[in-house]
Amino acid sequence: MTAPLLEATGLGKSYGTLVALKPSDLRLNRGEVRALIGSNGAGKSTLIKCLTGAVTPSGGSVLLEGKPLPLGQPGAIIRSGVSCIYQHSNLAPMMSVMDNISMGRQPTRFGFVDRKTQRTQVQDLLARYGIDLDPDALVGTLPTVKQKEVEIAKALAQDAKVLLMDEPTGWLAVSDVRRLHETVRLLAAKGVGIIYISHMLDEIFAVCDSLTILRDGEVVTERAVDRISRTEVVAAMVGERLARESLAAADSGRKATGSGEVRLSVRGLGRRGVFRDISFDLHAGEILCITGLIGSKRTEMIHALFGSAPHDAGEVLLNGKRLVPRSPAWGMANGIGLVPEDRQHEGLMLGMPIRDNLVMTTLRRFHRFGVLRPRGIDRSVSSLIAALNVQPPRPAQLVGRLSGGNQQKVLIGKWLARDPSVLILDEPTVGVDVGAKAEIYALLRAARDRGMAVLVVSSDLEEVTTLADRIGVMNRGRLLSLRPAAGITRPELVAEIGADA
Amino acid sequence: MTGLMTRAAPHALTLCVIAFVMILAVLEPAFLSGSNLIGILRAVSLVGIMALGMTFVIMTGGIDLSVGPVSAIAGLVAYFALVAGHGLVAALLAGAGLGLLIGIANGLLVASLGLPAIIVTLGTLSIVRGSALLLGGPDLHGIRDQAAYSFIGSGAIYGIPVPVVIFLVLAAMAWLLQSRTPFGTLVAAVGDNERAAWLSGLNVTAIKAATYGLCGLLAAIAGMIQSSQVHTASATYGKFGTELDVIAAVVLGGTQLSGGAGSVARTLLGVLFLGLLNNGMNILNLSIDIQLIAKGAIIALALSLAARRTG
Amino acid sequence: MPSLSSRLTLPVFFLAVLAIFCLIAPNFASAGNFENLMAGYAFIGILAIGQSFPILLRGIDLSVGAILALVGMCIFDLSLMFGVPGWAILPLALLVGTLAGVVNGLMVTVLRLSPFIATLASLAAYRGLVYAISGRQLVPELSTKPITDRWITGFETYFDLTRVLGLKGVVKLPWVPLSFLILLGTLLVFHVLLAHTRFGRDLYAIGGNPEAARLAGIKVGRLTVAAYAISGLCAAIAAILLVARLTTSTEGLGEGIELTAIAAAVIGGFSLTGGTGRLLGSVIGTFLLGIVLIGLTQMGISPFVQQILTGLILLVAVGNDRLQTLRADRQRARALGEVPA
Repeated sequence: MTAPLLEATGLGKSYGTLVALKPSDLRLNRGEVRALIGSNGAGKSTLIKCLTGAVTPSGGSVLLEGKPLPLGQPGAIIRSGVSCIYQHSNLAPMMSVMDNISMGRQPTRFGFVDRKTQRTQVQDLLARYGIDLDPDALVGTLPTVKQKEVEIAKALAQDAKVLLMDEPTGWLAVSDVRRLHETVRLLAAKGVGIIYISHMLDEIFAVCDSLTILRDGEVVTERAVDRISRTEVVAAMVGERLARESLAAADSGRKATGSGEVRLSVRGLGRRGVFRDISFDLHAGEILCITGLIGSKRTEMIHALFGSAPHDAGEVLLNGKRLVPRSPAWGMANGIGLVPEDRQHEGLMLGMPIRDNLVMTTLRRFHRFGVLRPRGIDRSVSSLIAALNVQPPRPAQLVGRLSGGNQQKVLIGKWLARDPSVLILDEPTVGVDVGAKAEIYALLRAARDRGMAVLVVSSDLEEVTTLADRIGVMNRGRLLSLRPAAGITRPELVAEIGADA
Repeated sequence: MTGLMTRAAPHALTLCVIAFVMILAVLEPAFLSGSNLIGILRAVSLVGIMALGMTFVIMTGGIDLSVGPVSAIAGLVAYFALVAGHGLVAALLAGAGLGLLIGIANGLLVASLGLPAIIVTLGTLSIVRGSALLLGGPDLHGIRDQAAYSFIGSGAIYGIPVPVVIFLVLAAMAWLLQSRTPFGTLVAAVGDNERAAWLSGLNVTAIKAATYGLCGLLAAIAGMIQSSQVHTASATYGKFGTELDVIAAVVLGGTQLSGGAGSVARTLLGVLFLGLLNNGMNILNLSIDIQLIAKGAIIALALSLAARRTG
Repeated sequence: MPSLSSRLTLPVFFLAVLAIFCLIAPNFASAGNFENLMAGYAFIGILAIGQSFPILLRGIDLSVGAILALVGMCIFDLSLMFGVPGWAILPLALLVGTLAGVVNGLMVTVLRLSPFIATLASLAAYRGLVYAISGRQLVPELSTKPITDRWITGFETYFDLTRVLGLKGVVKLPWVPLSFLILLGTLLVFHVLLAHTRFGRDLYAIGGNPEAARLAGIKVGRLTVAAYAISGLCAAIAAILLVARLTTSTEGLGEGIELTAIAAAVIGGFSLTGGTGRLLGSVIGTFLLGIVLIGLTQMGISPFVQQILTGLILLVAVGNDRLQTLRADRQRARALGEVPA
């Protein structure tokens, strides 16, 4: 066996006492496409950041063609031949394809950019890797798949030997995904090593040679793709920590259709090109979990229910009355609450104290003739802080300084404070430690027992099987199944989630 | 040392103001006389009133460059209303109403069309100035025989000049609005995280429009006080540079241009700081040139320290 | 490069406005009027070229008016107080402007101030410096004395185009002021710099995506300082032309001129979000403003309406810019069946 192209040994990262990535090994050969998978918080993004230099690892080393990689220095890492293609664009949209590809390294003659040479170089590069791009097109006017190709070409122009691709197909249509896969295979054939990060099992089985699965900050499985089944992959990602007994314990408290009263009824909801034919009933006093891989358009669907994203087909009935969700304010007025997935960008005011965040949705309850009643707010906030067990329990503490788990509790608390009749939560425990997770589950169960209708979107199967009264599975914008959680077996769930729809 | 610096940093401005007062008091005993202190307040009252409104605008992450011309046109409109014999109340309402409307127009252009605030208010600055000149020409219009109107700018209540009284009353109201009503929290929320604010059901457009409206209203009030103070109305008042002083006071007070948490109380401290700076430099008999340079340098230094603090 | 149609919008609009004023405004289409236009707006065009650089990098330079006055006062002092010969003053003047720009750039990069605040502060400081060094105040009897150095007043020269082209007696063309030729020269130099050198391409990259530029090994800090330095240099060139025209300088020189310069750059297609725009656009933007303002004056419309129109044109320009962006995004999303981010 020849020496690997990239070899990471004992690469690890910890923040104080929190270990984000236990010392891990990773090997990549020339021409190999290796999938890197794991659920949110598994340490995947930390590993990537160590390799791009965004994060300086606390230990370990990385060799590229036998030479050590300058860890922690993004620019130097790129120049030594490891490039990353991020989910967000890393291009200058108003510049031409050609200028983006040779950004910062245009050939010059007598101090002027030598357009002719630049064009030849870029065209040679594109031809060599079989990428079909117009060098003069403005990047901002290109479809996303073409922009991804520009990024790939840019990385190759910087002599990339290893390409990291972070969910490159996130926003792509099916035909574009196939196109991108062809490009990836072609690059591999030319000897480029590729680390391919994706949540889509289809993709991984279509384009990758081997895979590395991370869970809880460590590598749990490393195998060639043709020697592992989908079920095994999902099982390895999710882990087997959930014992049969605790499953049974969870079962005993389940109420498959809550009180039986239909609170929210969704009929044939659709949005062109995103999701379609979504129909289900949400009952008072139940927790309905909708699961599926990332990219199955669950988030877009629940935002449509709340009024923060459009839909163009079907209808939503609340307590039998037809709703036309228009805006979040309107959804709230009808007693719907939504805890968004991204607490930093969509959920919280990080620069403001816990107190202000907690009363954000209920401010109008706390004023008399337009003047706030601080005592009413203080009372409400301290009881919320106590109920949520936020640490530290100081109302004046800035939310940005809290740990992920406590931030999440504040975010959920801000909505529980309204006591909505329907509460929708998107990935309620991403990046949250085990203790806080259990507390959040208890809060949601208590809300359910009070008669709230709770809709949870989650990719964490352990969470789904622990929390749900009923489980729905979404795949590529469609609701595949909807069943009582009691008696559902995990292999069944896994098979459905990973199904090639 | 670093620990001390970090702990002292939030109070840096307060400490500066206190240090300033002490230094000036030692250098020039007349500094601490009641008349000088009231004089300082009187000198900052116009910029101070405008800074109150600007605080809310900057808290949303916006900016309003049009306050100078708005103050001029409000003074002019009030003057014309008085001359036309509509009475004091109608005149004041006309001036204030116009300021409010211009502000709301700014706010709607920024909030509902998503245009950059700097450019929008740069545009309205030019439009309002042109309109004011069209209305009143470049000349000064003397305001005579309007005792009630003149009282606003030149009168005194218990020895305290009326502009100072108005400034203090408005400051108290703005402080209440920012810290004791839902509005203050909502404005900070919009500036801190607009998307999250929208997802929390806040009407972001209305909140932004309201802040610009408030800023326009307060600029108009300041403009009317000024015209009453100097017994003339002119389209050229509130000249270029006014908005810079106003913005500097707000930003010195610790409200960040990127929006988010802000405080009227701290803006007042910023206003006071600028007032002391000007007064102190006058007392020390520094020429206007040195004053301008020192002001620029001190503002840049203070803000760069603030930038370091927040990383 | 942007599509041809979007690139032609501004010139076509410019020519249309020009044609309209030639038709409806009396005496607009006269040689003398075009001379005024060229001489009166050349220095603003140069300021707009300079202003384009910070805007390209998502910044802004509010201090150009103050730098203009500072350089103007330096010329005044050196020439009248110290009797320095003009050929020695000129490079010094350019140096002062450039240094003032470098200080702005350092405040943005080293002190990490927002460009708006940094140049706001330097605006106050530079204007103060003007008062401090003002020869008009230091030696009051100089304040009525004009600058007569040929090296400086020589910039206020006109060339008879008709004679140069040998068309005497055929048509009467406007005399071309030297300042206009200098504007064209400045445009050419900086256009080549921006469009045809690595330096220029790197600036576009920083404006378009600073993080990507940094990762591509571009020295973002150094280039940012350079951009503000160019803005200062252009302000110095403008100051020389203006002092030559006025044969003196005042403390209030160029007050508020930054607004016109910013407006011209934005109208010319430099978006405040950075990374886009062409210098020719800024110059066309300047003269678009100039034509509208001078044309309206000649139609007997109050000069104050001009100010209103400047503002309206600015609002329409950014509104249009925003609309184009939104429309392009939506079209792309629809055509591709993608979800807009």
